[in-house]
Amino acid sequence: MIIKVDREKCAGHARCWALAPELFELDDEGYVLPRDIIVPAGQEALAGRATRACPERALSIGED
Amino acid sequence: MASKPTVPDHVPAHCVGAFNLYKSPEMRPTPFGDPFAAVAKLLDGPSVFYAPETTRDGQGAWIVTTAEEQRNVLQDGASFSSYRRIFSSAIGEDWPVIPLELDPPEHGKYRSMLNPLLSPKRVAALEPFVTAKAVELIEGLKARGASAEIMTEFAFPLAVSVFLAFLGIPDDRLMEFVGWANELLHMGPAERTAAAHKVLNFLESMIAQRKAQPADDFMTFLVKAQVEGRPLTDQEIRSIAVLLFIGGLDTVATAIGLDLYFLARNPDRQQELRDNPAIMPSAVEEMLRAFPSVTPIRTATRDMDLGGCPIRKGDLVSCPSMASSRDPAEFPDPNTIDFNREDNRHTAFSYGPHRCLGSHLARREIIIALNEWFARIPPFRIKEGTAPVTFGGFVFGVENLVLDWS
Ligand code: HEM
Ligand code: SF4
Repeated sequence: MIIKVDREKCAGHARCWALAPELFELDDEGYVLPRDIIVPAGQEALAGRATRACPERALSIGED
Repeated sequence: MASKPTVPDHVPAHCVGAFNLYKSPEMRPTPFGDPFAAVAKLLDGPSVFYAPETTRDGQGAWIVTTAEEQRNVLQDGASFSSYRRIFSSAIGEDWPVIPLELDPPEHGKYRSMLNPLLSPKRVAALEPFVTAKAVELIEGLKARGASAEIMTEFAFPLAVSVFLAFLGIPDDRLMEFVGWANELLHMGPAERTAAAHKVLNFLESMIAQRKAQPADDFMTFLVKAQVEGRPLTDQEIRSIAVLLFIGGLDTVATAIGLDLYFLARNPDRQQELRDNPAIMPSAVEEMLRAFPSVTPIRTATRDMDLGGCPIRKGDLVSCPSMASSRDPAEFPDPNTIDFNREDNRHTAFSYGPHRCLGSHLARREIIIALNEWFARIPPFRIKEGTAPVTFGGFVFGVENLVLDWS
């Protein structure tokens, strides 16, 4: 499972990071890094919750 | 004959709504009111409608109610400009507050410069100050008795001193600042103009002082900051400082006040937080969703259709966060306040490029304020014989909030 990141839409709410700091990395300005995130086995549910927490809909779940 | 509010010719009658953010009955100062429930009812109606005279200066605007349509507006800076002279109009001038009234891509240059100062990681450094100040204020009012007016004795002094510390302004003039913010945001045109001059004069003297004597604070950062390889102009510096002043001064206090107003009237919800203090961060998110205070406003830059209504270039488009945060399509059971709500992508801090720059600081301040409050104050209620007054408008809020824990 991967999380697709649409960096154009990210506005730095950091809600993803607040829920799952081990999955999401923020840059110095507080925006998510512009690359897809590979979800380690066992963390799918957390990844789903963090994805749904993004107010901008900048994150989506994809297959790898 | 009473004059009817004017509606522009291009607005069809079926698109005109009766609701008004300033003048509808529940938006006026109301003892024990619930302006949020009144706005939530808009979600039963169309996603976009025209409201005559709904801004502070009496202009008409389109009101967008659903989360989806608001996201479309607020994420699209090309079609919806945020330039409105919210501050400079008060003094008869014409310049944008920065970054709020700049549109992308211009906006991004300044926003990038400011983001690191208020990023989630940087905000952590301010936490000890916020905690110490909250404790000092609560212990102070406890020592004075078993009741207190929370806005003037706790919420405002806390929010304002944190903000002043961030800017590098000593807090011996704290209540004077509270007064200026109040005149600027909640009073008539004459007070607004006078307050705007006071704020500007003060900030200008600060700028001059930091140029002469740098310190380790936000004002010094601005004086030294570069954009496109050149230092900021004095005009840019004051445009940024003024916005932080407007944006940071009463919003946080308002949120703390609205949360305590809700909790004071719902002892079972207080108990829930006392039984399980670990849910405070998610409870604060939920109360930001249920009681958000700000209404972003944009100006259409082209003709378009929105939610079945014809928007013309130059029309104002208003996106009350209290409407979108109660949208049942985005939040199941929107009028239930659920401290454990999942997928809480509330709109209190807006969407898109102008997402509140201070949101991470604001969150931490509210969480710390409530944590320290609950750790020190036993179950509390509205003091008998007093009546808190809620109000709508540009920034929603509550005043005369006298809590009693005797
Ligand atoms: C609970 C407290 C707060 C709430 C509800 C709030 C709400 C908002 C909202 C809704 C916007 C977007 C306005 C728009 O799109 O038109 C905004 C922008 C902004 N806020 Fe806040 N705010 C809060 C606290 C703060 C604090 C503490 C600061 C300063 C440290 C701050 C500084 C700003 C700035 C500078 C902007 C403009 C950002 C830009 O245009 O890029 N806010 N705020
Ligand atoms: S929650 Fe969304 S907008 Fe916020 S940082 Fe994460 S990806 Fe960006």
